[in-house]
Amino acid sequence: MSDPKKNGLFKAALSALAAMFGVQSERNRQEDFSSGSPLRYLLTGVLMVALFVVGVILLVRLALMLAGG
Amino acid sequence: MIKRVWLLPWIGLFLSLPAKAAWEVNITPGATAISREVYDLHMIIFWICVAIGVVVFGVMFWSIFHHRKSRGAEARNFHENTAVEILWTLIPFVILIAMAIPATATLIKMYDNTDSDIDIQVTGYQWKWRYQYLGQDIDFFSSLSTPREQINNEAAKGENYLLEVDNPLVLPVGQKVRFLFTAADVIHSWWVPDLAVKKDAIPGFINESWAIPEEPGIYRGQCTELCGRDHGFMPIVVEVKSQADFDLWLADTRNAAQAQAAAASEEWTLEQLMERGEQVYNTSCAACHQATGQGIPGAFPALVGSPMVTTDIDAHINIVLHGKAGTAMQAFGAQLNAVDLAAVITYERNAWGNDTGDSVSPQRITELQQ
Ligand code: HEC
Ligand SMILES: [Cu+2]
Repeated sequence: MSDPKKNGLFKAALSALAAMFGVQSERNRQEDFSSGSPLRYLLTGVLMVALFVVGVILLVRLALMLAGG
Repeated sequence: MIKRVWLLPWIGLFLSLPAKAAWEVNITPGATAISREVYDLHMIIFWICVAIGVVVFGVMFWSIFHHRKSRGAEARNFHENTAVEILWTLIPFVILIAMAIPATATLIKMYDNTDSDIDIQVTGYQWKWRYQYLGQDIDFFSSLSTPREQINNEAAKGENYLLEVDNPLVLPVGQKVRFLFTAADVIHSWWVPDLAVKKDAIPGFINESWAIPEEPGIYRGQCTELCGRDHGFMPIVVEVKSQADFDLWLADTRNAAQAQAAAASEEWTLEQLMERGEQVYNTSCAACHQATGQGIPGAFPALVGSPMVTTDIDAHINIVLHGKAGTAMQAFGAQLNAVDLAAVITYERNAWGNDTGDSVSPQRITELQQ
């Protein structure tokens, strides 16, 4: 992996995504724990969950719209 | 030979299977468009599960067999394989979504309570159901009608044992009926498999559901939320009639209600009240106070020789009309009509050797009710 400072946010987002999906490789996990600040992971994690909730709301809206409700 | 004796019951079981054609373990396709959709979903998902089971166990058994020790198989030790992990997360995800799409379509239909033709409030009581046809001036209770002798094993059990009531819920065919569920005491649940309706009836809440019955017929169901001692004794019977028969029933039921009101102003003799009172007692009171009037010590008081029942007539009338807050003794003032109330009180004061000779007139109850 390249310089953690440059790709920090993107990498944190990928890690949060992997955590939500439930699968992460051991190599990435070690890297996450040795680079960057925990705060960045916490914040991206919260943001991703918020996005997930909004996503579910939109999905339900879409389903109801398609059903003509 | 002797050792095979254990086989006999199994052979017997298999030989008897064809004879038991009515032996069913699956859910019913039911009698409405929604219940058939629910059944189809259930079957699709069932077969998906079967397919998954066959593939997973097939691979497992093949692997165990193929890599057996006697063929010199050696376990490969490794930790984590991201590709496989992603695969076994993605596949169930895709299967779940594939099942969720048709299921959601049906659920959305099931929750669409708009545009109903008839609204019926269904209220759960310990242990009976009350049906109020909103705006139709029809309001009645529906209680178990299986005779006590059958329940106590003193008579052979009937065909619809514990699935029969005195007043069934009557619905017209082809109309959208909206049910509004609530309860008067504890949580009950109204379940009629053929209509694919199963909803909790919760005190202080209104839950909604609907059905369009397609065929005239009798559909039976039960309370499905443990609600106390006689939870298994508050069945549901739905009678679906053609529109013409339903209209007749509406008129009959309204007439009967008027006749009841008229009966309350007539003179009733002690014998007439006793006869009627015994019926009322057996449907409304015997579950707790028992047919013998002896109650159940520690739970339901005996009425035989009770000071209230043998002397204090005002207190007796009062507890039957208004119940006793915080106990299982309900207020029957709104559940029974004046004649039934007068009759059951008279019955209690004279049955089982109570012999007070008191007779309570329906007029006295009517006055108290106003
Ligand atoms: C769900 C159970 C239940 C049913 C059904 C029920 N009762 Fe009761 N009843 C009770 C309980 C419990 C008490 C005792 C209340 C208390 O703690 O004082 C009671 C008390 C009474 C008493 C007072 C007895 C005394 O000596 O204090 C009378 C009278 C009575 N019930 C009449 C009736 C009549 C009439 C009916 C039918 C219309 C009926 N009950 C149905 C549970 C029931
Ligand atoms: Cu119940």
